[in-house]
Amino acid sequence: MEKLLNIDRRIIFIFVFLGVSIPLLVEELEFPVKPTQNVRAVHEMLETAAQSDGGGLVLFSFDYGPSAQPELQPMALSLLRHCFSRGIKVVAICLMPDAPGLAEQALTTAAGEYDREVGSDYVFMGYKPGFASVLINMGQDFKSAFPKDRWGTPTEELPVTRHVDSLKDFDAVIDLAAGATPEMWIAYGQEKFKFPLGVGCTAVMAPDLFPFLQSGQMTGLIGGLAGAAEYEALIKTPGTATIGMRPQSVTHLVLILFILLGNVMYFLTRRRAAGSTGATA
Amino acid sequence: MNRDTFLFLGFVGLFAVVNIVLLSTGTVTADWTGLGIIVAAGLTLCLYTFLYKDNLLFKFAEHVYVGVAAAYIFGQVWYPTLYGEIIEPMTGSEQGASQDTWWLLIPTLLGCLMLTRFSARIGWLSRIAFAFVVGLGAGFAIPRTISSYIINQIEPTLGALSLTVDGLNLFIILVGVVTVLIYFFFSVEHTGVVGRASKVGIWFLMISFGASFGYTIMARLSLLIGRVTFLFRDWLGLNIAQ
Repeated sequence: MEKLLNIDRRIIFIFVFLGVSIPLLVEELEFPVKPTQNVRAVHEMLETAAQSDGGGLVLFSFDYGPSAQPELQPMALSLLRHCFSRGIKVVAICLMPDAPGLAEQALTTAAGEYDREVGSDYVFMGYKPGFASVLINMGQDFKSAFPKDRWGTPTEELPVTRHVDSLKDFDAVIDLAAGATPEMWIAYGQEKFKFPLGVGCTAVMAPDLFPFLQSGQMTGLIGGLAGAAEYEALIKTPGTATIGMRPQSVTHLVLILFILLGNVMYFLTRRRAAGSTGATA
Repeated sequence: MNRDTFLFLGFVGLFAVVNIVLLSTGTVTADWTGLGIIVAAGLTLCLYTFLYKDNLLFKFAEHVYVGVAAAYIFGQVWYPTLYGEIIEPMTGSEQGASQDTWWLLIPTLLGCLMLTRFSARIGWLSRIAFAFVVGLGAGFAIPRTISSYIINQIEPTLGALSLTVDGLNLFIILVGVVTVLIYFFFSVEHTGVVGRASKVGIWFLMISFGASFGYTIMARLSLLIGRVTFLFRDWLGLNIAQ
C-alpha cells in the first residue's frame, strides 16, 4: 500500500503516453462531440455576419505562438473554413510576434480549400507591437494602424480593407488568444465600438473568461481543444481537434483513476495508522 | 560508463537508426521538408527526455528554442516595425512616402532613452521615457479597467433574481461573489455569521481552483496530443485513425 502511495511519477507518464497514443491509432474508439452553447454562439455570430450587407467582414486577431498551436490552430482553421464557405471577407492581424507564421499557414490552407484570393477575399496585415495601443489606433484609424499588408500592398488599395476606417466597420471580431489579449479586446475594443466579440482561447485561460460571457462583453467562447472539436462538429468538417478528443477522453479517464486510487490509498493508510495507534494505546 | 551515459548514447543511436530507416523507405522525404520533420521530431524527443530527468539533450533543445525564438521575434519586430515604419519612411526609400516624418523622431528618441537603463551613468534618462509610458498607460487603462472589469462585471451580478434556471445561476453567482469577498475581508474576525460565510467562500474558491486545474490538465494534454500526433503521423508515417 505504501508503495502505491509513493508510486514513481514516471509510471504515471507511461500510462498517460499510452492513453494518448493507443486511442490515436485505434479507429474503433469513438466519443461523440456535442457543441456547447458558448461555441454555438460564435458559430451564430459568424452566420449573422454572413447575412450583413456585402457578405460580412470579420477581423481575426491571431494572438498565439507555437506553444499553443495544438489547441488554437485547429480552431483557427475551422473558423476560417466557416468564413470562407459563407463568403465572409477576412482581415487578419497579429498582436503577438510569434503568431504570423501560424496565421499565414492557417489563412493559406483554408483559403486554398475554397479558392479564396488574397486581397479580394482576405487580407493579412501581419504583426504590430503595442497590444492596447494598436487596438486604440485601429479604433481611431484602421489604415494608420496597418498602412500596408504583410506583403507591402497599401491597405488603401486592397479591396477588402479599402472601406475600413475603424473597428466599428467590422461585423464581428474573433480573438484567438494564448495570453491576455481578450481582456484588452474587451476594454479597448468591444466596450467602445460594440462589435460582437468571439474568443478562442487555450483551455487554461477559459475559466478566467467565463465572467465576460455572463456580462455580455463576449458573444461566445471556444475553449481549448474540446472547443475546437465542437466547432469542427458544427461546420461538419472533422479535423485534428476531433481526432484529439479520443486520446483526450481516454487520458482523462486514466488520470481520474489515478486520482481515485491515490485518495483510496490515502484514506486506507490513514485508517490503518489510526487503527494501529488505537491498538497500541 | 554509467547508466545515464548508456541511455544517452542509446537514445541518439536509436534516433539515427529510425531516421535512416524512414529515409530509406521514403516515409520521410530527403529534402528540406524531410529535414525539418527530422529536426522537429528530434527536438520534441529531446525535450520529453526531461520526464526521465534533467539531461544534456533537454538543455540543448531548450537553448536552441530560446535562441531561435529570440531571433524570430527580433526579425518580426525589425522588418515590419523598426525598419518599415521608422527607417524606411525617414530615409525616403519608400515609394510615395510622406515627407512629414520628422515627428517619428519623438517616439524613436523615447524608445532609445529606454535603452539607457543599461548604463549606470546615464540610466536616469530612461525615467523620461518611463514617465511617458506610465502616464499614458495609466490614463488609458484606468477608465477602461473600471468600466470593463468592475462596473460591467458588477451589473449582471446584481440582476433581478427569479424562479428560473437563469435566476438560480444568478443567485449562485451572487452568493459566490459575496462570500468570497467576505473571506478576503480581514478587518473583522472570521467567527459567527462572518466565519460561516467565509467558509462558504472557501468552498466557492476550491471549486473554482478545481475547474481551473481541470482545464489546465486538458490544455497540457492537448499539447501532448499535438506532439504525439506529429511524431506518429508526420515523422513515423503511422496511420492516425480519423
